[in-house]
Amino acid sequence: MPNALTNPINQLVLGLVLGLVGVYLLLPQPKRRAVAVGTFLSIAGMGILAVFLLQTLGRPVNSIVGEVLFWLFSTAAVGFGFAMITQRNPGRGAIAFAFVILSTCGLFLLLAAPFIMATTVIIYAGAIIVTFLFLLMLSHVAGPSDENDRSREPLMGSLAGFAFIGLILFTIHQSTLAEASTAVPSAPLTAKDRENLASAVANIDEALKAETFEDFRGPMKKGHDFIGEALGDDSQPLPGSTPPVLARRLRLPKDPRHIELVQSAKKLAKANDEAENKTLLGKDFPAAKEAAANLRSETILFAGHGLMPARNVANLGYTLYSEYILAVEMAGTLLLVATIGAVAIAGRRKGVPA
Amino acid sequence: MITLGHFLAVGAILFGLGLIGFLTRRNLITMFLSAEMMLQGVLLNFLAFGYFHGNLTGQVFALFIITVAACEAGLGLALFLVLYRRGRTLDSSAWQNVREAGLPPTVDVELFAEPEPEEAMPVLPVAGRKPGAPSLEGANRV
Repeated sequence: MPNALTNPINQLVLGLVLGLVGVYLLLPQPKRRAVAVGTFLSIAGMGILAVFLLQTLGRPVNSIVGEVLFWLFSTAAVGFGFAMITQRNPGRGAIAFAFVILSTCGLFLLLAAPFIMATTVIIYAGAIIVTFLFLLMLSHVAGPSDENDRSREPLMGSLAGFAFIGLILFTIHQSTLAEASTAVPSAPLTAKDRENLASAVANIDEALKAETFEDFRGPMKKGHDFIGEALGDDSQPLPGSTPPVLARRLRLPKDPRHIELVQSAKKLAKANDEAENKTLLGKDFPAAKEAAANLRSETILFAGHGLMPARNVANLGYTLYSEYILAVEMAGTLLLVATIGAVAIAGRRKGVPA
Repeated sequence: MITLGHFLAVGAILFGLGLIGFLTRRNLITMFLSAEMMLQGVLLNFLAFGYFHGNLTGQVFALFIITVAACEAGLGLALFLVLYRRGRTLDSSAWQNVREAGLPPTVDVELFAEPEPEEAMPVLPVAGRKPGAPSLEGANRV
């Protein structure tokens, strides 16, 4: 029995079925609505799905803060989503939707998208206030109402939704199984590489503080070792050749970002050799220090590849207005047409000829 | 480290919940909010892919999605207003006579449960006046 519960497919199916029954019980219906049982089943289903995700994708190890925030925001988003679709009162549903938006905005921040976060908050806050006004204006129902207290095909609807969720989660499960054996386009620099490069920079910093050549040599040796490990070879790669680990990882040679990365790696290898030679020669201390400083900046530049740019808004604007200028124009046109259309549709009054 | 799969899973769950809401709920405004929740799931997918590829293309697409969502909101609410003026209701089933030809209409067979009789609230007399005494309001207004 414990074996059956640790099998991820069983967990997935169990979580989905529990969630399905829970949502079916919670959806507004004139009779037989079991709120307590439905809530309990939905929460149990979501918990089992969370265990499934943990088991499938691996327990996150580092970055505790990011992990906690991720689970907080995603739980809130899913929970308020449940509340929104099962809430009878449309006004409370709108409030739950506002919390869904805020939670997903937290997830956007975790994904290094502060501008999208701000835009979403502003636009959806406006949209929700407008929706709220509509609700106050249009729905004044006393007693049971057809549109709020009935659902259209609650069983079939929840079945469709949960079948969709199950399909996607199963696909994620399959692709994580496949990832171990086949090459998928992955980040060119792994977390381990970045760690090595960071240690190298720390060691070079220590070396740069040294007063004498003897103090300088030890940390530099360590720094060279870390860089060599990140570039992936014990024997130093020849200046001008692609480091072997990168060459193995880069399966898309035509991608301009990868060309840039290879060039940066070559530069780093060259600076590494130069600094090492000057340290080994042991004659010109200022020149060796200068080479070490050069090596430090090259290391930092190389370690930054594959990360999001720090100046999000400036870079987003640059990308929008250089690569996607036509799409921006078309989006503007779309907004204009939609505004005119909304005014034309809603502006007609009875008795006033169009 | 949170992987790409975690974010994709959250996006998929949001999309699925929105799908359920859109298919089952009958209030037009709740249906509209469910559609917006589906868009949030898609948005999360785009941003996650962009983040894990280390470029901004996902964020650009997310901006366009937000644009389309804003257009949708404007047009949708305008349509709701028109429909409400015609039918005085937000029930989407009120317009089921525009369904596909040959399909049977959906009829609500299940009845509502009997509403519980409300307890009679105690009525308090106006302060400072004897219960049952004649009102003086009319006299003052002459």
